[in-house]
Amino acid sequence: MKIKDAEIIALMQNPRTLEKGTRALMDAYQSRLYWHIRRIIVDGDLAQDTLQETFIKAYQNFHQFKNDSQLYTWLYRIATNESLQQINKLKKMQKTDEDPEYYMQNIVADNVQSDAEEIQIFLQKAIQSLPEKQKLVFMMRYYDDLPYEEISKIVDMSVGTLKTNYHYAKQKIEEYIKENYEK
Amino acid sequence: MKDFDIEKLERRNIYKVPDNLFENIQGKVMSEISEKKKAPVFKLNWAYAAAASLALIFGSTFVYNSYSDSDEDVNPTSTLADNQSAPKTESEIAYETLKSDLTSVENINQRSEKQQIKTVVYMPDQKDVTTTKPQTVKPVSKQTETQMAEYLDSFSSSEIAELANNSTQDVYLDLYN
Repeated sequence: MKIKDAEIIALMQNPRTLEKGTRALMDAYQSRLYWHIRRIIVDGDLAQDTLQETFIKAYQNFHQFKNDSQLYTWLYRIATNESLQQINKLKKMQKTDEDPEYYMQNIVADNVQSDAEEIQIFLQKAIQSLPEKQKLVFMMRYYDDLPYEEISKIVDMSVGTLKTNYHYAKQKIEEYIKENYEK
Repeated sequence: MKDFDIEKLERRNIYKVPDNLFENIQGKVMSEISEKKKAPVFKLNWAYAAAASLALIFGSTFVYNSYSDSDEDVNPTSTLADNQSAPKTESEIAYETLKSDLTSVENINQRSEKQQIKTVVYMPDQKDVTTTKPQTVKPVSKQTETQMAEYLDSFSSSEIAELANNSTQDVYLDLYN
C-alpha cells in the first residue's frame, strides 16, 4: 500500500513518530530522488552519499517544511542544492586544464550499463554538455515530468525563464546527437 | 541523423546501480539520525555532570570547612576533659616527656601544630594557653630563656660539674670547656 504525502507529513511533524515518518518518506521518494541526483552528479558513490545527506537534511529541517507546498517539491529542492554543492566541490578538485564538459562526459562513459543503448548514452553526454540551469530544467521536465510551476519553486526561476531554458536545452541536445550519433 | 526528436525517445535510466542500494542508504540514514539524536542527550548529560561536579566541589569544601571548624571546637573541650582528670604528678610528666623523647627523632620532627598545642595544655596557666594559642607555636620564647637562665643559676658549680659528668659529651658544649 502506497502511503500518501499527508500521512508522511503527519508522522514527521510528530516528534514521537519522526523516525517512522522518515522511513516512510524514504520508501516513497528514494527512487525518484536518487535518479534526479544521479543524473546531475553521474558518479554512483557520490550520488549515494548525496541522497543520504538529502534525507538527513529533510529529517533535521522538517520543522521548516510548510504545508502549503508539495512534499516532493521541498525534497527536490534539498536534493538539487546538495547535488550542486557536490558538483562544485568536484569542479574545485578538478585539474585546471581539463574541460568540465569533457570530464563529465567521461564520467558518463564510466557509469553506464554495459547493455545501454548508444542513443541513450549520447543523450546523457549531451545533457552534461549543457549549462547548469538548462541541465536542471531539462532533467526535471524531461525525466520527472514536473510542472513548470513546481520547477520554479525548486530552482527559484520564473516559469517564463524555465520554458525558454527548456527550449534551448532541447535544441542543443538534438543538435549534439545529430552531430555525434551515427557519424 | 536527420529529423531526430528526443520526445520520442524512451525515458530510461542507463547508469549502473549497486545491489541493495536503497537498503544501504536507509540503514546509513537511520544510524546517522540515531547518532544525531543521541548528541543533544549527551550534551544534556555534560550539563548535568558539570552541575554535579560543581556541587561536589562546593559541597566538599563546605563539609571540609565545617569539619575543620568543629575540629577546632573539639580541641578546647578535650583540653577541658584533660583538666578534669586527676592532675598528673611531676614524675609521671617527666616519664612521659622522656618516653616521647626516646621514641624517635622522626617523631619529634613530624610533630604537628596540634600536637604542640596539646603539649602546652600541661602548662600551669591554662587561660593564657587558650587565649594565646598562636604564641605556643613559637619554638622558644624569651620568657622560657630567662626561666632557664634562673634555673641554671640556682645550681652551684659543683652540681653543674656533676651533671656534666653524668651527661654525654655534646660537641657544642666543647666551646665552653
